[in-house]
Amino acid sequence: MTIIKVENLNKTFKVKQKEKGLKGSIKSIIKPKLNEIKAVKDINFSVDEGEMIAFIGPNGAGKSTTIKMLTGILYPDSGSIEVLGINPTKQRKKLSYEIGTVFGQKEQLWMHLTVYDNLKFFGAIYDISERETEERIKELSKLFDLQEFINTPVRNLSLGQRIRCEIVAALIHRPKVLFLDEPTIGLDPVVKENIRKLIKRMNNEYHTTVFLTSHDVSDIEKLCKRVIIINNGQIVLDDSMTNLKYHYLDKKVIEVKLKKKVDFNSVDGIKVLKSKENNLKIEIDTKKTDLTTVLRLIDPENIIDINISNTPLEEIISQIYRKE
Amino acid sequence: MKKYLYIYKSEIMSSLQYIFNILLNMVGYTVLVFIFFNLWDYIYEDASQLINGYTKNQMIWYIIVTEMLWQASGARKLCRKICEDVRGGNIAYNINKPYSYIGYVISSHLGEMTIKALITIIVGIIFGMIFLNELPQISLIGIIIVLISAFLSILINTILVTAIGLLSFTIEDASPIYWLYSKVILILGTMFPMEFFPKIIQTIVRFSPIYAISYGPARLFVNFDIKNAVVILITQMIYVGIALGISNILYKKGVKKLNVNGG
Repeated sequence: MTIIKVENLNKTFKVKQKEKGLKGSIKSIIKPKLNEIKAVKDINFSVDEGEMIAFIGPNGAGKSTTIKMLTGILYPDSGSIEVLGINPTKQRKKLSYEIGTVFGQKEQLWMHLTVYDNLKFFGAIYDISERETEERIKELSKLFDLQEFINTPVRNLSLGQRIRCEIVAALIHRPKVLFLDEPTIGLDPVVKENIRKLIKRMNNEYHTTVFLTSHDVSDIEKLCKRVIIINNGQIVLDDSMTNLKYHYLDKKVIEVKLKKKVDFNSVDGIKVLKSKENNLKIEIDTKKTDLTTVLRLIDPENIIDINISNTPLEEIISQIYRKE
Repeated sequence: MKKYLYIYKSEIMSSLQYIFNILLNMVGYTVLVFIFFNLWDYIYEDASQLINGYTKNQMIWYIIVTEMLWQASGARKLCRKICEDVRGGNIAYNINKPYSYIGYVISSHLGEMTIKALITIIVGIIFGMIFLNELPQISLIGIIIVLISAFLSILINTILVTAIGLLSFTIEDASPIYWLYSKVILILGTMFPMEFFPKIIQTIVRFSPIYAISYGPARLFVNFDIKNAVVILITQMIYVGIALGISNILYKKGVKKLNVNGG
């Protein structure tokens, strides 16, 4: 069942321009100059129930603008959006009961209140009865391991604990779709991994559709089966994670430690990435030359150590961003 | 309505965390009232003298009440918060919640101000009793009506300042407008009752929000009269409606223009 349906969506921002210096400042008061920036250009996509989708792109690509239009915060210029059959622009309040949002860079919790009081507050604003809120708090605090600090004011929590609470607060009204905007930003690797596990567990337990944006490739790789890449306001890729890796795996990286230096510069399809004394890091374009041919160029007796790896997903995504 | 009461309650719980700051704010209030006490004490030759219909004690109680209402409104803080919310895009995180932004701002601000208002009332009464030795002649019902009128005064001020803050959608920075608003109220409402001004100014004050925000409740306290109370309360209720209407129009128009920076 389709949960999110976006068709021909467009959004343009008017940004004030000012010439340099005092003269420019005065001129901008008398005759303000506005530049139109097309943040989102004619995008189309749909998301099915229970899917965990990564919506990624470089800074300024249009991903946050899209999320804000999907959640009813921004009005689109043209095109249509349906989230659970609701038009976010016209029925923003109705939609808010069905979705949850977590913004890693912006706290939605009350800093001076305890975690418990915050969750009770969110229960009240979503019109959930006292009894049901208590049950939900019990259930979610167990799932997200909040018991230890449930009576601590939010301002005294660590960032990792706070993000866990932010997610729980967004889930208190059992939303059908959860929008996560960079939920692991600023967290250490262990806490990041913990948060990912919890999001996965939540998706399994409640079958909540997750719409995730993140600059952390591990978030995307470990959580999502499908990825949409947006750049300059346009969707440049909408595919499964497996296909993304498969189609872009035409490059291999060899790191080799040799007894005597070998020159690869003249070989077509090989790019020397790093060369320090007898240590080499080369990238092989398997469309131009195969791995066996390259390995034949190195005398096995000359090898001290060798490591062959795929191009990291981060590099693949960067290449797509750069349109390589 | 239940959720707005919860927002109000949560804000009271939150404000209790910085009660020391509120107590410190009272120093400013007391100093200001003390200055006016000395000023009027110097101007009046004796306690029975009337200036524009006010005795010395009535005049000082008037200042105590109007300044109390202004302090308890926390208007500057509210205006700054809304301006920052609109300009910085923070408003976006309140828009996608199942409540009205204006309802949220009002209930949250009133919650934040409740403790401060209670402390200001206590400090004001103590000050008046120490320096004037007596309360104005007012019955218990009169006091209850004055308290209702004081609440409506703070409510009107809160909604009007919300409307001023929401102008940030169109003019980027609404603080100069707030500055003008606060100074007009200070001169024509807080410092002097309208009887001190020429007829034309009196008419302006009578038909402006200053009557509902400052003059009305303070006048009731210093010279209670049931007929006047009815007029003041009705005027205040009309102003609540007008102010809410203006805020809602500004919000609905402004939110369509919202330009939130992406991530």
